[in-house]
Amino acid sequence: MASILIVEDEISINELIKRNLQLVGHRCTSVFDGKAAVSEIQDHTYDLIILDIMLPELDGFEVFKKVDKIPTIFLTARSSLSDRIKGFSMGADDYLVKPFEMLELLARVEAVLRRTQKNRSCFELGNVRIDFDSHQVFYMGQPVECTPREYELLEVLVNNRNIALSREKLLELVWGYDYEGDTRTVDVHIQKLRKKLGWDDVIKTVYKLGYRLEVNQ
Amino acid sequence: MKYRTFLATLMLFLFSFNFGILVISAITFKDTANSAKERSLGEHYFITSALIKDFHAVESRGNDIEGYLDSLLQPYSYLSEDKKVKLALYKDSRLVYSNRLRIELQDNLLEPPKNGNRIVSIQKSEDGTYVIVSGKLPDPYDSYTMSYLYDMTDEITSWEQMKNMLFIIGFILSCFLSLSLLFLFNRIFKPLAQISQISRSIADGAYETRLPVSGHDEISEMAQNFNSMAEKIQNQMTELITEAEKKQQFIDNFAHELRTPLTAIYGYAEYMQKAVMTESDRLFAINYIMSESRRMQTMAYQLLELANLKNDQIVWKEQEISRLFQYIKTTLHNKIIEKEIKIEFIYEMDIVWGDACLLESLLVNLVDNAIKACSKGGHIIIRAAVENGKKMICIRDDGKGMTAEVLNHITEPFYRAEKSRNHNDSGAGLGLAICKQIALCHNAELKFISHPGEGTTVKITFTTSK
Repeated sequence: MASILIVEDEISINELIKRNLQLVGHRCTSVFDGKAAVSEIQDHTYDLIILDIMLPELDGFEVFKKVDKIPTIFLTARSSLSDRIKGFSMGADDYLVKPFEMLELLARVEAVLRRTQKNRSCFELGNVRIDFDSHQVFYMGQPVECTPREYELLEVLVNNRNIALSREKLLELVWGYDYEGDTRTVDVHIQKLRKKLGWDDVIKTVYKLGYRLEVNQ
Repeated sequence: MKYRTFLATLMLFLFSFNFGILVISAITFKDTANSAKERSLGEHYFITSALIKDFHAVESRGNDIEGYLDSLLQPYSYLSEDKKVKLALYKDSRLVYSNRLRIELQDNLLEPPKNGNRIVSIQKSEDGTYVIVSGKLPDPYDSYTMSYLYDMTDEITSWEQMKNMLFIIGFILSCFLSLSLLFLFNRIFKPLAQISQISRSIADGAYETRLPVSGHDEISEMAQNFNSMAEKIQNQMTELITEAEKKQQFIDNFAHELRTPLTAIYGYAEYMQKAVMTESDRLFAINYIMSESRRMQTMAYQLLELANLKNDQIVWKEQEISRLFQYIKTTLHNKIIEKEIKIEFIYEMDIVWGDACLLESLLVNLVDNAIKACSKGGHIIIRAAVENGKKMICIRDDGKGMTAEVLNHITEPFYRAEKSRNHNDSGAGLGLAICKQIALCHNAELKFISHPGEGTTVKITFTTSK
């Protein structure tokens, strides 16, 4: 979907971010220090940069000064208010503090991309096509009637595809924190989506966890 | 304090000044009175002796004295030209002659002693103050008493004028003095006010403020002492601040070092739980989880070691150099073989004093670092020798070396020369901090000499006599 540059010196975390972003369909490039990041930015175009601050050679703030109009999310262990303010005042799109949850990173990446990419592509899988701009779903070319909740659930599943989401998480992401219904509401909506789109095999039930929309990469 | 001193000084001065004026005027008054008395006595004597002669003359002519009194005494009235002198003649306490006498004389003046002594007194009446001299005429006229009155009102008046003048001058002087005292005290107490103001500002945290020092008096000496005190306080505060900053740095680093493996462990666990993955993905994630946990374990262990080193007493024993070197060889055998490193041991002394475990740990750590710095087929020389009367162990490698910047920080906890962390290197960045602590425990000095590309030399110099 988008090409993302990951600048993070810790190899394990760099790899982890890369793998998770690849799961939801992004193309990722990993670099491990500031200088490499700068030359990478100059040589290629990216839709998004995930940038650590404490980097060898050139720190994240220095790298960011060289970034021209590429949306950037700072990802750092530096949690102090002054660092965050510095990050935002320099024009960062978001600031995430380690340790972070992968779902949160994905959600923020998604949010930044949605803000910055004007012509959002649609998502196609088998006979189903989802148009994110018009909030429309097509099955074999025919529009499918969806309630707003169903559409939102579908969007969350697609954005976090290949990642299992617990019922509680889905409830929180789709219905919001203050929703008082129980997790069976999620089950009911999932059943409806499966039936409407013929996605019995695509939206998988993950044992003891929740649901996962699986897409072969 | 200032006003109390001012008031006390002023009062003391006013008291002595006015007392002085009082004494002076009293003495002047006495002088005036005395001279008036002297003069009166003189005049009285002159008149009396002249009168006696006249009486003799009158009597020799066979006349009665009383009938001639007026004409006898008349010539003396020149004395009263200026109306300051009055005369009175009594016979047996009965006034027989007077000129313009308007005061009643006291009785004792009318009866002076018969032995010729005269009574002198000063008497005040409505029209003035008089010096009165009164005495009997000598035999045979001792029934007569001659009184001479001298009006000293003018003297009294001039004395009073002088006295008033003195007090007025005194008052003016006092005013002038109090003003100059106030000015003086302001000047004297100004440094005190300055000190109190500056000490307040120092207390408020402006540690760099100093008193201006001028001159060579007690005040300037005090200012100098005060300044040196402020200097010491400032130094100590800076020290404390650096100390606190170091601690904060340590905690920040520690938090960072903790967060990184935790993020990785949690992230990979989450990844395993939620993502679609192949068997190789799974193994990959598990590997990361294990190596990151191991890293945390190492860090926990090393932190504990570091903390213990700071508190515990070490066991001093003789350690044979050959045994220590053998220990290094066996412990690091695999790494040495793997990197095909040529390692050389040189002995120029036999024993050092110290704790077996700690010395082993120190040497292994340093040699391990040297091996890491070396490329394949590198060369390490370990030499134990006595230099300048001090025992020392020196580890030299021909590896990649370090910059001066890195050298400065190398023994700080969690400092990493290579910022990009490689997960194969399980170190927590505490190794050299521990080495430094071990050296400290042995009263030894740990010194690194290095240049990029020229290898590194580590020198442990033992400063204890043991």
